[in-house]
Amino acid sequence: MSTIAERIAAAGTGNAIDLRGVSRYFGALAALIDVTLSVRPGERRAVLGSNGAGKTTLLNCVTGDFPPTSGTVRFFGEDVTTLPPHERIRRGLRRTYQISLLFQRLSVRDNIYLACRGVSRGRFSFLRSRASDAIMQSVSDLLTLVHLDSVADRLVGELAHGQQRQLEIALALAGAPRFILFDEPAAGLSPSERGDLVAILTALPAHIGYIIIEHDMDVALRVVESVTMMHDGRIFKEGAPHEIEADPEVQQLYLGGGHA
Amino acid sequence: MATAFGDDGAVHGAGRSDAVVRWIERHPIGALIIAIAVIFVLWLVFAPWPEGFEDWFGKKRIFINALFNGITLGALYFLVATGFTLIFGLMRNVNLAHGSLYLFGGYMGYEATQWTGSWLFSYVIAFICCAIVGMAMQFFIFRRMEGEDLRQTLVTLGLSIIFSDLMVWVWGGNPIQIDTPDYLAGPVPTPIVVAVRSSGEAVFLHYPTVRLVIFLAAVVIGIAMWIALHRTRIGMMIRAGVDDRDMLSVLGYRVQLLFIIVFAFGAGLAGMAGIVGGTFQSISLGEDSHFLLASLVVVIVGGMGSIPGAALGALIIGLSEQIGVVYFQNYATVLSFLIMVIVLALRPQGLLGRR
Amino acid sequence: MAITQATDAPIGMDEAQRNAAAWLSNYSAILLLGLVLLFLPAIANNFFLDQIVGWALILGMIALSLMFLAGYGGMVSLAQMTVAGIAGYMIAVFGASSLPAISLFWPWWVAVPIAILIAGAFGTLAGALSARTEGIYTIMITLALASAFFYLALQNWPIFNGFNGFTTIPAPHFLGVNWRSPVPFYYLVLFFAVLSYFVVLYVSRAPFGLALQGVRDNPRRMEAIGYNVTAHRIAAYAFAALIAAIGGILLVWQNNQISPFSVGVDVVINLLVIAVVGGLSHPIGPFIGAIIYVILRTFALDALVAVGLDGRRFQTLIGLGFLVIVLFSPDGVIGIWRHWSSRIRARGARSGF
Repeated sequence: MSTIAERIAAAGTGNAIDLRGVSRYFGALAALIDVTLSVRPGERRAVLGSNGAGKTTLLNCVTGDFPPTSGTVRFFGEDVTTLPPHERIRRGLRRTYQISLLFQRLSVRDNIYLACRGVSRGRFSFLRSRASDAIMQSVSDLLTLVHLDSVADRLVGELAHGQQRQLEIALALAGAPRFILFDEPAAGLSPSERGDLVAILTALPAHIGYIIIEHDMDVALRVVESVTMMHDGRIFKEGAPHEIEADPEVQQLYLGGGHA
Repeated sequence: MATAFGDDGAVHGAGRSDAVVRWIERHPIGALIIAIAVIFVLWLVFAPWPEGFEDWFGKKRIFINALFNGITLGALYFLVATGFTLIFGLMRNVNLAHGSLYLFGGYMGYEATQWTGSWLFSYVIAFICCAIVGMAMQFFIFRRMEGEDLRQTLVTLGLSIIFSDLMVWVWGGNPIQIDTPDYLAGPVPTPIVVAVRSSGEAVFLHYPTVRLVIFLAAVVIGIAMWIALHRTRIGMMIRAGVDDRDMLSVLGYRVQLLFIIVFAFGAGLAGMAGIVGGTFQSISLGEDSHFLLASLVVVIVGGMGSIPGAALGALIIGLSEQIGVVYFQNYATVLSFLIMVIVLALRPQGLLGRR
Repeated sequence: MAITQATDAPIGMDEAQRNAAAWLSNYSAILLLGLVLLFLPAIANNFFLDQIVGWALILGMIALSLMFLAGYGGMVSLAQMTVAGIAGYMIAVFGASSLPAISLFWPWWVAVPIAILIAGAFGTLAGALSARTEGIYTIMITLALASAFFYLALQNWPIFNGFNGFTTIPAPHFLGVNWRSPVPFYYLVLFFAVLSYFVVLYVSRAPFGLALQGVRDNPRRMEAIGYNVTAHRIAAYAFAALIAAIGGILLVWQNNQISPFSVGVDVVINLLVIAVVGGLSHPIGPFIGAIIYVILRTFALDALVAVGLDGRRFQTLIGLGFLVIVLFSPDGVIGIWRHWSSRIRARGARSGF
């Protein structure tokens, strides 16, 4: 059993995410077909495409929520295709959810605490944490980072939608993330809350890479350096944001048709 | 809408038999073992036993009787458990008062035979009485707590406590036997040889007519239900609701009507089963929890929300209880629970259940 | 966002103060209750001490193990009374009873750990069997397991002595004290009941308990932030089984006997009734439920007869009371108390203006 530090060292210069020939079928329906995708450590990538293009399925295959039907998934060089979700989390992979999957009957602070505890030792501890210990410290740091100090002791069920989205990001930042998958983080946010979201994303430490799935091109293209376009379960274009915006095929398929 | 459901039903039916073929292809050894076991049991039933065989299995008459009793008991369990599994599958309501409905049906059937003298008519009475109670439960109580499965279950628990106490009040604690009608009384000869006399003359099994008739009735009811679920519009709505609960929201206000129909039907079947139980054995205080538990185990083994699962589970549990009584006296009832534990460990969703 | 924060802050402080005040009033109530329980032997007779408060504390402990699983873990396990019953049976098998053919007559300090271990193993196994299924299935599976044990005990003579069970199971004598005499036994029960209450309260805010509440609220998300949900559930069953097993041992010492009917389906269901009536949201609930149940059980028969009703309709009374609670106060007596106290507080605040 190697420690996380050893695994990071062993991963060396490989890609953060490496998908090779990943397909996912639901019965006869193909949600992902032979997807091959590499993302470098620290890289920020948007995955765009119309509804049903396979974006969320791609995320679920990376996190292990659904295993792929075929193909391999590597995370920092390690083959994680058959690992359960919680093992991948411990290796530094994080995700946020489109629909709210928070712990509604716990306080904001407890939600973040659980996320921090989930990637450290002592998940089964029967001893309470002291206010001074490292985890409690990182909980209050995260509360500040996502601007939720003032509601730290409220139950999550009582929070406004925008605040729940911010908490969602805080959960993904808990522990020592190396790579985060954001699933439509701007959905349902007001314009000012979107501004906040862009500020939070661009302020992330440089070593944390991410993939962001987003319908809102304005948000997505402001926070990434590369874009992958998907259509009908396949990747059909990769490039820098300005190339994608200028590409006639993309404009026809996505910006013209699906974006309305 | 009807045609859409009809097409879906046809595709679905084909999918089922395909699934059986695929299962056989994927588990050739398992399929072979099951086939050999079936052939062996058939041989045990129909062939005269060779010398020395009775040292292991005891007298053939006892084995065959246990087998027949197990299958007919399975038919009774099926009648009780189908209602339970349908109510659970569609409404996620663990109806802990299901045993009380069984017992209530038995008592009402007893009263009906006392008054009218007709055994067959008593089934109608028991069905109607229990269906009304079931409808009332769904309409007055569960309708108000939709989606709260724990609260619904706790309500059924409270109702079962009250029902069983009230039934003790009315009918007392002594067992009541429902008389078999004259035209079904007594045994009927079957073409199964259980022994050979020294004169070379074969002795055929004689088995109670009423049990065979009830077994056939249960099979007919099971097939009728299968057809109703696959070929009628309401049946398809029920099936779609069991498979995909989100589908129910599409139905809007009619979903309550569907729930009331299913609750009434499930409760009515349990009531009819009460008469069967009263004729086979007897009905008394405590039988309500016995049949509630039987339903639980049958449904856990067979698969929750599945009618074929209830049939398979009922057969397995009925057989294991009767075979257990004959061959493992000290652990008879534990045997069926042991089967349940093994199924839970290997296949938590039950033999024919879906994830 | 900045503006929201500025307006939020004073409200937050106000709430903190109110919480502190509420906590203080709760604390004084608990202190008062603690003093009453501590000095109860000085004012109460032995019947009240042993058959009312003592019995309620033991039942409360076993119901507490159910509350821990149901309230914090969302797993309504009906196997907890069975865990207690197995511990009781094992005390009779490994310790002393009136049946020398079965009982091994080992000293209590050997029999007790073995009993807890075996009962704990059963509780954990029940958890392992039901932890992979979600929500309401748990009730079905654990009820079936509980009745499986009832039938095993009923039909098995070599270990469980079948229908008759065991009688004359003595509580230990040590430190020169007969722990079954009313006052020492009361303090023994009080010690373990209070201990288990505070341990559960403490664990509910420890990482293990918080994670369990996370599993209750959203198992899928717990997987996604690094927890092994199944392992956590099974561990919760193991912990709850420990409490139930201690309660079961105390119960068998109190009753001096155990039989299949100590773990019958009605007993198993009554335990759920106790926990639900008390309330599943706080560890005090099961104890409230237990004292109500014990008082009803002891006096309702006479009370029913006194008002001209049939005393045998006790179960209907229990069922109706349970139904009323489930229909009108899903959080049991705790819910009623919270509702009233918040109304009184609101009225107090209004008159204060």
